Amino acid sequence: MSKASIGRQTTWVEKALRVALYTVLLIMAAVYLMPFLVMLLTSLKDVEEIRTGTLLSLPSTLDLSAWSKAWGEACTGNNCGGISPYFLNSFQIVIPAVLISTLLGAINGYVISLWKFRGSDLFFAALLVGCFIPFQVILLPMARTLGWLGIANTTTGLVFVHVVYGVAFTTLFFRNFYQAIPGELVKAARLDGAGFFTIFYRIILPLSTPIIVVTVIWQFTQIWNDFLFGVAFSGFDTQPVTVALNNLVNTSFGGKEYNVDMAAAIIAALPTLAVYVLAGKYFVRGLTAGAVKG
Amino acid sequence: MNTKAANSGSQKTQSGRPARLSLADWMPKIVMAPTVVVTLVCIYGYMIWTAVLSFTNSRMLPSYKFVGVDQYERLFNNDRWIVALTNLGIFGGLFILICLFLGVVLAIFLDQKIRAEGAIRTIYLYPMAISFIVTGTAWKWLLNPTNGFEKLMVDLGFENFKFDWLINPDMVVYCLVIAAVWQASGFVMALFLAGLRGVDGDLIKAAHLDGASTFTTYRRIILPSLKPVFFSAMVILSHIAIKSFDLVAALTNGGPGYSSDLPANFMYAHTFTRSQIGLGSASAMVMLGCVLAILIPYLYSELRGERHE
Amino acid sequence: MANLVIDNVKKRYGTTEVLKGINIAIEAGEFLILVGPSGCGKSTLMNSIAGLEDVSEGRILIADNDVTYTSPKDRDIAMVFQSYALYPNMTVAQNISFGLEMRKVPKEEREVEVQRVAELLQISHLLNRKPAQLSGGQRQRVAMGRALARRPQLYLFDEPLSNLDAKLRVEMRTEIKKLHQKLGTTIVYVTHDQIEAMTLADRIAVMKDGEVQQLGTPQEIYDNPANLFVAGFMGSPAMNFIPAKVVSQDGNPMLELATNSTVTLPFPKPEALANHIGQTVLLGLRPEMITEPQPHKVGQDFVTTTDIKVEVTEPMGADTMIITRVNDAEINCRSNPAYPAAPGSVIEMMFDTSKAVVFDQASGQRLDI
Repeated sequence: MSKASIGRQTTWVEKALRVALYTVLLIMAAVYLMPFLVMLLTSLKDVEEIRTGTLLSLPSTLDLSAWSKAWGEACTGNNCGGISPYFLNSFQIVIPAVLISTLLGAINGYVISLWKFRGSDLFFAALLVGCFIPFQVILLPMARTLGWLGIANTTTGLVFVHVVYGVAFTTLFFRNFYQAIPGELVKAARLDGAGFFTIFYRIILPLSTPIIVVTVIWQFTQIWNDFLFGVAFSGFDTQPVTVALNNLVNTSFGGKEYNVDMAAAIIAALPTLAVYVLAGKYFVRGLTAGAVKG
Repeated sequence: MNTKAANSGSQKTQSGRPARLSLADWMPKIVMAPTVVVTLVCIYGYMIWTAVLSFTNSRMLPSYKFVGVDQYERLFNNDRWIVALTNLGIFGGLFILICLFLGVVLAIFLDQKIRAEGAIRTIYLYPMAISFIVTGTAWKWLLNPTNGFEKLMVDLGFENFKFDWLINPDMVVYCLVIAAVWQASGFVMALFLAGLRGVDGDLIKAAHLDGASTFTTYRRIILPSLKPVFFSAMVILSHIAIKSFDLVAALTNGGPGYSSDLPANFMYAHTFTRSQIGLGSASAMVMLGCVLAILIPYLYSELRGERHE
Repeated sequence: MANLVIDNVKKRYGTTEVLKGINIAIEAGEFLILVGPSGCGKSTLMNSIAGLEDVSEGRILIADNDVTYTSPKDRDIAMVFQSYALYPNMTVAQNISFGLEMRKVPKEEREVEVQRVAELLQISHLLNRKPAQLSGGQRQRVAMGRALARRPQLYLFDEPLSNLDAKLRVEMRTEIKKLHQKLGTTIVYVTHDQIEAMTLADRIAVMKDGEVQQLGTPQEIYDNPANLFVAGFMGSPAMNFIPAKVVSQDGNPMLELATNSTVTLPFPKPEALANHIGQTVLLGLRPEMITEPQPHKVGQDFVTTTDIKVEVTEPMGADTMIITRVNDAEINCRSNPAYPAAPGSVIEMMFDTSKAVVFDQASGQRLDI
């Protein structure tokens, strides 16, 4: 009897359900895509077209002037050089911060999972809490500290802050990954005569490529998208692009130029979007790894 | 026997050990030291520092004149703080519920052997890669009462269509919900999809052999087994909600007035622009309390679960 | 090749003592097996010998040098692990030569050594593969090759065969025995498989609860277990333990059994039972000592025939195990498959007590030594 029902072709009810399913999924896809599409369309229109047309109307000509203005001329606060300098600031902050925090995370994870010592698990638990505290509780003391260290309002200061508060996550990632490596591997290498760093460099690091990719992508996205530290700890000319974008959008000289706002927003989103499109698999793995297992 | 007598206590062992205290044995501790120091100072030390400040009368500069719980009293008598807390309740509650609902539904739908599943998943999740500032900027334009969504609908023929939530103090918080859901629901979907893929296939086969329909299988077998995912997602979403600062900054800047403030924005404004460090610190501590109230039971159950394995 | 002395080694974690004063001395070239149930401390002892864990008290000497506080790499020890612990990112050849490289052995010498070891273990054709491309048995060989390459003074094997399937395990067991005979190396080998222990060891140390229960040759341990635990742990099926009353017959202490009828069995060392008349002791009798009546043995001293009631039979091919009840204890008897023994029937069996042992019921200690 069950054989017959399997052999039978799908009924029309099942077919209708399939159609409904696909319809819902595609509509939702459109909903998720819509804001980005509107941004793109708006950035290609001129101010006049924006006023007369609607969100979804197509631009009559391909007008890239809003893009060049956003990049090089738009005013953010009192500065009218576009967001390009801030875009570069972001890279100046992100690259060292990602590299340092990833390296520290790898070493910490290596120690916590393969060279346990008295208190290392307790410390890991303490560090884990660091992933979750609302950063509001450290903002003011950190601002004072950066002042004392003489790196307030500098990109160095921002790199420092991002490393300090990123290392909890990177350690978590590497620790969970290294937890799956049998401890016997380290024992074998120790008997073979390898030391702490040799084992790390020759045996553990070559196994770590996937988690390095996940961590680098996670950190890149987090730090690039940061606003709170940027706005609290940067000076006028060391702002990251998120802060500059917010200033640009909230600066109103005369009429609002939505096309420039949208172009600037897309520019600010481009690096992380590119990473997502190129390495989405690792991005998702980072998201779920940070989330599912603590 | 005589060795035992000589070794009474552990002191002998301690004195016998120094031969092994080479640099190599200390290496793990040495390389961890910077992180330990930084964590103790920059997380726990600063937390205590802020806690201390919240009991002082600090205004523009930190002072250490203690005033007891005055700042907390002022905080909860402050209308703007009450608005921010209420907003957090509305925003957080709706944001979490809608994200969970959308996340579960989309994950189950996507789990039905959908063609182009990868592409659809990519589309649902891409907002998570974007900064809240960009999200806020985009939705500020979409929800713009004169040129945005409202105009689109009017031009489509719905002439009396009105959509002015962004400038309506009673409704503006829902704009935050819309933008935040757009950004984070795909992430919840990804969490649940990963959870669904992790359900033991034999369990589902067994349910089908027991005569359960697909719907019943999901309701009675699969979803209950995803309870841990529900908890994780809820913790992460509430964490996002409590920390939300940039979305408000970009989408509404707290306005109109302070009707769309969230606690994070309150804290920032009072600490850095309104020279009320004591009050700002008190608000930060309340935020910390909210996070811990959610986090500690979660971590406790997680760790207990781990021990059971 | 070196001797090893473990002198009163203790290990504590907080207040729990996992090693309670271990004393073992091993000759150069000896094959010692540590055996015991999980949690008995055998792996901790192994790690302590290797220097991977510090001991709390006591000394460890390799080749008469005190290495108690020497770091693992300076003890000149090689270890084969249960999981093999092959470096996944390195080829077989690199795995084997890594230890030599760490000891700054010149490249040419390393290559010669890798070739030697590979030929010895017949893995020359695998040298360029990665561990992931090898079968379980091949990985096992590579793990041994890695240990052999450095020609250390002492080899430690930590349950090296427990991840192999039954057939391969028997093969590799023979292989290890051959290697030991050929190379004459000193080996300490941990296992929980008592057949492995019996077949491989020169001497066996049976451990339980952080203490060595007995240290001796396999035959000593089998025939003369120091206590109830050792007697029950070694041998499969396990030794039968029959609570039996000591009765005096013509002035001789005898053991009373209720089989199908009541019989009394003589005991080779009656003096051990003299003080226990009227008490109940535990009689230990291996299954092969309870068989069908064998004409050449019937009538000898310490051989008694009696009727038993068959409860279950378990044919094992070479023998058939007959399960019956004596003094309310379930016991295994090993009989010839040709001997008729239908479940439920009453048959005649022969009890040979010439190698029987007796234990105190409460303490589990041997009474007859």
